[in-house]
Amino acid sequence: MTRAEFLLEMEEILGLNPGTLKGQEKLEDLENWDSTALVSLIAMAESRSNTEITLDQVVSCSTVADLLRLVPLEGQPN
Amino acid sequence: MKWELPKELKHPIDVATVLRKRRSLKRELLEQPNLVATRIAILGGSTTAEVKSMLEIFLLAHGIQPTFYESEYNRYSEDVMFENPELWEFKPEIVYLHTTWHNVSQFPELLEGDAEVEQRLREEVGRFEAIWEKIQAKLGALVIQNNFDLPSLRPLGNLEGSAAYGRINFLMRLNAEFANFARTHSRFLIHDIHYLSAQVGLNAWFEPMYWYSFHTALSPTATVALAQSLAAMVKSVYGKSKKCLVLDLDNTLWGGVIGDDGVQGLVLGRDNPMGEAFQSFQRYAKQLQRRGVLLAVCSKNEPETAPLGFTHPDSILKLEDFSAFKANWNPKPDNIREIAFELNIGLDSFVFVDDNPAERALVAAQLPEVAVPEVGSDVTRYADVLEQERYFEVDKIVREDLSRGSYYTANVKRNVNQGKFKDYGEFLTSLEMVAEIAPFSPVYLERIAQLINKTNQFNLTTRRYTGAEVEAMAKDSQCLTLYGRLTDKFGDNGLVSVLIGRVARETLEIDVWLMSCRVLKREMELAMFDTLIEQCQARGIRKIIGVYIPTKKNPMVAGLYGELGFSSAGDSAGGQQLWQLELPQEYVAKSAHIHRTAAVEPVQAVSSQPSSK
Repeated sequence: MTRAEFLLEMEEILGLNPGTLKGQEKLEDLENWDSTALVSLIAMAESRSNTEITLDQVVSCSTVADLLRLVPLEGQPN
Repeated sequence: MKWELPKELKHPIDVATVLRKRRSLKRELLEQPNLVATRIAILGGSTTAEVKSMLEIFLLAHGIQPTFYESEYNRYSEDVMFENPELWEFKPEIVYLHTTWHNVSQFPELLEGDAEVEQRLREEVGRFEAIWEKIQAKLGALVIQNNFDLPSLRPLGNLEGSAAYGRINFLMRLNAEFANFARTHSRFLIHDIHYLSAQVGLNAWFEPMYWYSFHTALSPTATVALAQSLAAMVKSVYGKSKKCLVLDLDNTLWGGVIGDDGVQGLVLGRDNPMGEAFQSFQRYAKQLQRRGVLLAVCSKNEPETAPLGFTHPDSILKLEDFSAFKANWNPKPDNIREIAFELNIGLDSFVFVDDNPAERALVAAQLPEVAVPEVGSDVTRYADVLEQERYFEVDKIVREDLSRGSYYTANVKRNVNQGKFKDYGEFLTSLEMVAEIAPFSPVYLERIAQLINKTNQFNLTTRRYTGAEVEAMAKDSQCLTLYGRLTDKFGDNGLVSVLIGRVARETLEIDVWLMSCRVLKREMELAMFDTLIEQCQARGIRKIIGVYIPTKKNPMVAGLYGELGFSSAGDSAGGQQLWQLELPQEYVAKSAHIHRTAAVEPVQAVSSQPSSK
């Protein structure tokens, strides 16, 4: 999964138009960043990149950039 | 452009995709026309946010738009047993108890004796029964209760299942008690998550990380499966389950091509692994047919050749199991439209199964209302796909369902017979129709409630009532109730019409008037009306108000009251059309071709004066 694909999937999860997320947004500023979004994100990471993310890991993130670091992305160092 | 179910919600469902796209799916599903509103209270023994979210998606997929009440975390008991104005004022139509094995308050101790285990069982069952009885007394809602799933850990190993003090044994006994309650109480359904947890697989059903992080008793995969299953139950209650399974023949019901291979060359029966698989699929279809699902054939074959396949000695299905049979070289969508016309049911009541992907694609493209599951071409998977989609979910089976297929088959014979008569009245007389029309009787209440909740076309008001409400109206002296059964020389059509009027002084307002489409154009509505007039005259009623509430499905009855001699009384604020009829002194029965048998007992007239004791 590439960075762009991850952002696109996050936009779908949050009900945002494609291209809205640039990657630096604060999570607390995102409407619809709630428990159901968390579950969708965890399921997405497992399905798309075979990565298990825990709730503790997600809760420790404060920006979209932090979330991007939780999953291995193509073309980016781990 | 006709609305279509989003592909993400068609089998096979990808859980991560549905979770990710749930917001856009909800927006898309809300665009469909004629959504039926309902109020559902979810009382949870664990976190229910995901259940509510997914249930909403799958209910919308069935054309049902829910409004939810959601209990606080693990307050499924408190929310009911203590004063709760918020829940009482919400007035749910359905209360869903989302409990799992985690909510069992006491398990037996190791090596505990049978008597002590029994005591624990009684206490646990009693705790839940108190909740159900309070819901039904206070809210009158339909209760859907999960039975208990299986824990994934077994400290006692296989002894868990057999030892009286084993948790699994205890859970199975609780499930048996829950099932017993469902058998003996109306407006109470068990949601079988014991089966569901086995179907999904316990390792996929429960994910420790989600439990410890969110206190959700189910994994996302299990939540989607649960929501699908629960939505199927609700859609069944609202009369939205499919009614007819249309089947291809060659390589769907048997291996081979009947036209080329002949009966002897078909792959069917236990002599061959694939033959056994085809036979098993036929057996599954037969089991559906036996409990009321209509079967139809739609096959590209010579009309004389196709039926021969059912003479194969290993064919479970016989020709008479089918309510419609189309074998020709016409496009399958055209044939399915004809079947819908013959059986007089909507295309949205159909499921089409065909091994040929091109035929499936054509039907799906031209008839988007028809469900066309991607069954593939492996017969060993066909039944499983139908099971996963839960097209034919049923909340109750009444005796009349067992002979539904024969009603439709007899109807086809009636229609064929009709061709012999030049005059339609002559044809109706030839049917030798007899109608039993009488006030509601306890033995028919289930069927009456079924008709009220599932009839759409010949339905003047499309008002839906629960079984308890129907029972109450049957006993209410301010209600005038009538059911109608119709038989003719071809067979018994069963109970086909329901009428409920509410009496106020010398006026009766028709609250419900509906009729099964299987007896359209037989003048049954005239027979019902004749009996209604007689009943009204006996009660001293002078005026009848007819209400017509237009829907997309009932335009056929838009002019009924006018045809019966009512005059228009304008429209109400809610868009309901009002009609009125002053009862004539002398009334001439309108039904000329139906002999009415039920003697209508004169009912004591409703008096405006208080009775003296």
